[in-house]
Amino acid sequence: MATIKVQNLRKEFVTSDSTVVALEDASFEASGHVFVSVVGPSGCGKSTLLNILSGIETPTSGIAEITEDGKKARNGYVFQAARLLPWRTVMDNLLFVQTDKDDKARERCQRYLEMVDLGHTANQYPGQLSGGMQQRVGIARAFSIEPDVLLMDEPFSHLDAITGRSLRRELHNIWKETKKTVLFVTHDVGEAVELSNRMVIFGKGGRLREDLNIDLPFPRDPADDAVALTKANVLRKFEELDLVVS
Amino acid sequence: MWGSTTTARIVSIVSFLVGWQLIIPLLPTALIPTPIEVGEFMWAELRADTLAPETVYQAFATSLRRLVTGFGIALLIGIPLGLLMGLFKRVEDFLHDFVVVGLAMPSLVWALIAAMWFGFVERSSIITVVLASVTFVIINVAEGVRAVPKDLLDMSRAYGTSDLHRVRHVVLPSLMPFLFASLRYGLANGWKGLVLAEIYASTSGAGWTIRFWYDARRAQGVIGYALFFMIFALLAERLVFRKLSDRVFRWRPSDAQAPQEAEGSVQVGI
Repeated sequence: MATIKVQNLRKEFVTSDSTVVALEDASFEASGHVFVSVVGPSGCGKSTLLNILSGIETPTSGIAEITEDGKKARNGYVFQAARLLPWRTVMDNLLFVQTDKDDKARERCQRYLEMVDLGHTANQYPGQLSGGMQQRVGIARAFSIEPDVLLMDEPFSHLDAITGRSLRRELHNIWKETKKTVLFVTHDVGEAVELSNRMVIFGKGGRLREDLNIDLPFPRDPADDAVALTKANVLRKFEELDLVVS
Repeated sequence: MWGSTTTARIVSIVSFLVGWQLIIPLLPTALIPTPIEVGEFMWAELRADTLAPETVYQAFATSLRRLVTGFGIALLIGIPLGLLMGLFKRVEDFLHDFVVVGLAMPSLVWALIAAMWFGFVERSSIITVVLASVTFVIINVAEGVRAVPKDLLDMSRAYGTSDLHRVRHVVLPSLMPFLFASLRYGLANGWKGLVLAEIYASTSGAGWTIRFWYDARRAQGVIGYALFFMIFALLAERLVFRKLSDRVFRWRPSDAQAPQEAEGSVQVGI
């Protein structure tokens, strides 16, 4: 079982004339088959948290680690933009992140491409696909390494509403099937309420302000009374915490 | 079918040639050849029937050998320097002015300096090619290093790929358009320098042969050789650059007809 552990995490960015604190004394833990959303206004350190957890950046102080039964876990990462290598085919993009590049890996990659309905694009280049399709390739890539934990940084924010909606549904199904631990960064409260069973809310200055459980049955229809009500409550909480940027 | 543009172009070229052919006999000079004379000269050259010590094939083979040797050396020097310049600001600050001066220097100056220092030896032509092309390699590789997309590097780091894997599949491919620009413009500038170096400091090669025709007062030889230069450049473009570029950039979406240079690559030619 995978565990995400963040303890007294602090991250500051030092430039020549100022120090910006992106995360301040953040602590939370999540493990097992959970979908945790990290929400908050822009500039609250959400993406920095993912970058630290994935090893792109190092913390100033504190602990941020992801373990699987005590060992370092394998993470899949879905970015805001697809971040595919334009000079490699879709299949080769998936193979690029595999530890072994044998036939088994190839089969696995093909399987995850089919999971996002893109099995037929394996030999195409990313430039030949639409933005939504590229994002789906990015999702397939994250799953193709069979990660212990999936980190997602606003993966649907660049897409049109309809594509975003169908990908959200797809993501939920995959999560249910594969039983991964997901850490999902978003600034969209509605999206967070529809997808996650837990929300951690960050405020300005990178402080963790609230840790909420969302106990509603899946699938969650935005038109459903309980879902709509929960969204309204969370937004009210945002106002109470003075997180709404007007 | 031929569009009206093609027809207009053909009419334009044909009337130019016909006009040229008709006007020359009326002029009081023997130094301007008619197109037919130039054509006859070129045809004789292509059959290896020539007054000059070298046939057109030998002359271009000699020049091509010098060009390739010189540009190979320019790549060996320019790629490491360009990488260092793109990676470290100190190196950039240190080399910047020299590179800018090198880009702006007319190839003629390099040819003269090389001729003065090394004399009539193979070396001076090769050194001219190196000097005339190395700055194009340096500056384009340096720009290329700066243009390696950071988001792709972060992505591969997040997935824990090895450094070697990252250089091979992320850094090098994103450098390719810049290497390509340095190939095309470095070779073009090196070629211009080479022809001049051969005129001043050689006894063989295409540049020297055009000088031979000049000294022999054969205008059709000078003009004919100028046309050979054009044909040579066109062949190089069609047979080498375009093929190579189609192959290297086959991943680019359908704008394959468009020029394949990198944005921000340095292409000044003097």
